[in-house]
Amino acid sequence: MALAQMECVVGDKEANLTKMREMVCAAKEEGAELVIFPELSLTGYVCRDLFYELAEPVPGPSTEKMAEVAKEEGVLIVFGLPERSHVSGSVLYNTAVLVGPEGVLGSYRKMHLPTHSVFEEKRYFRPGYGAGVFETRLGRIGMMICYDVFFPEVARLLRLKGAQLIVAISASPGVRRAYFETLLSARALENTVHLAYVNLVGREDGLHFWGGSRLIGPTGSIIARARYNEEDLVVAEVDLSDADRAGIFLPMLRDLRPELFEELGREARR
Amino acid sequence: MRLRPELLEIDAESVTWFITNFIRDYVSSVGARGLVIGLSGGLDSSAAAFLAVRALGPNRVIGLIMPEEETYDPESIRHAEMVAESLGIKVDHVDITPMLKAFYSSLPAYDPSDDMARANLKPRVRMACLYYYANRYGYLVCGTTDKSEAMLGYYTKWGDGAADIEPIMDLFKTQVRQLARYLGVPEEIIRKPSTPGLLPGQTAEGELGLSYDVLDLVLYGLEHFMDPRQIAEDVGLPLDVVLAVKRRWLENEHKRRVPITIKLAYRSIGHDFRLPYALRR
Repeated sequence: MALAQMECVVGDKEANLTKMREMVCAAKEEGAELVIFPELSLTGYVCRDLFYELAEPVPGPSTEKMAEVAKEEGVLIVFGLPERSHVSGSVLYNTAVLVGPEGVLGSYRKMHLPTHSVFEEKRYFRPGYGAGVFETRLGRIGMMICYDVFFPEVARLLRLKGAQLIVAISASPGVRRAYFETLLSARALENTVHLAYVNLVGREDGLHFWGGSRLIGPTGSIIARARYNEEDLVVAEVDLSDADRAGIFLPMLRDLRPELFEELGREARR
Repeated sequence: MRLRPELLEIDAESVTWFITNFIRDYVSSVGARGLVIGLSGGLDSSAAAFLAVRALGPNRVIGLIMPEEETYDPESIRHAEMVAESLGIKVDHVDITPMLKAFYSSLPAYDPSDDMARANLKPRVRMACLYYYANRYGYLVCGTTDKSEAMLGYYTKWGDGAADIEPIMDLFKTQVRQLARYLGVPEEIIRKPSTPGLLPGQTAEGELGLSYDVLDLVLYGLEHFMDPRQIAEDVGLPLDVVLAVKRRWLENEHKRRVPITIKLAYRSIGHDFRLPYALRR
């Protein structure tokens, strides 16, 4: 798979689609079968009020264009976009889509929308209400987005729904790098699952995105990592069945205590 | 929504109530004694002065008339004096020509053929004069930028764009015109063509390429998230003209915000310090 750590042109979908197409071609040449782009890679992250005019339905014009690319190159692609809901142009989602040659194979609407510090996502986006795992020819893929990484229940839910690969797309500013580096390995390890993290790079409105995209194995080790702070394309290979072997040595999935989840649910509602 | 001129109609009485209360409240909350305002003799500064006096009374408003040689216009000065006189405020005349000449002769990079660089110096010198008065008397500088200019960035950054309070910045030019009529600004000021007064013969509508009646509707549409195609259709303009206005609006965001910095730390200026403008004294 390819970690396509791109820099976006804020608000310029054409430019970003062109770059994504180029990166898919380059990744394919290196043998990638799955190409992953960062959060909101269609538009850039700091679009603010422009999100309303940039948002598109899923499926929609840009997912169709990316599906065409997927068809030409014979790959699967995950990218991010502001999704316009079917209900109203005032209801948007921060969405990750998985497209293949046949079109949209699955999509995920970010459930945890950061609205603190420099983040204003709840101002624009409605949260999603579910996590999905999608069967593909490469295996079962679950998606999450950026701040979801801070909530262990998202990765766990995806894993219990059968995800063999968790794709986490992100637009994380530099000041938060240490938190992500800690949590990403934990999410992979605690679920004994492969996790591909792809972050944005570049500067948008004085926010610097740190890159550092990585593919993490089911024991939490880093299999491949993209450069910090600059655009990069890293292709790496994984054997998803490694997770089974890791799980025998690290049998947390076997040792789960569902009654604790029920208690967690009760406590978290209080 | 279809764009039509009625959308720009304001209830001048109510707008006046909101603005004058805002001025009075803010000036007192920061402990200032009054407002100093640059009077050009044009619509915006006249309307702002009328509002300032309605809010604070004539004894707490000072007008500065700051002509300079290159754009010297006796009629503008007469209009500014007329405003000051009808409001009964103290007014000082400051000829900024010698200050500008000092800049011209002191700057090694000075090039008289660069009109824009020279033109922008003028409002910046006026800004320095206004802030001198503000500091001298414990006043605030009252800005006179309207919403049409603010959206288009049609003003000088840190020149006339520098102020402590902007009473009319949420009113489009055509709305300021309505308000000025209500406030009693002399009709000859309201009717004359708008000019930034930076270069000889300059008019706003000539430079912007559209009349404010049309431009304000386009800006209103952009404010309201309208599709540029719909705006173009409603106001009867070619799409590329609307797109050019939109581009100009977006490209000038840097003038409306605190200067950009790279986020390095926990809370950063312009990013995520979210504090009130003022704490009541």
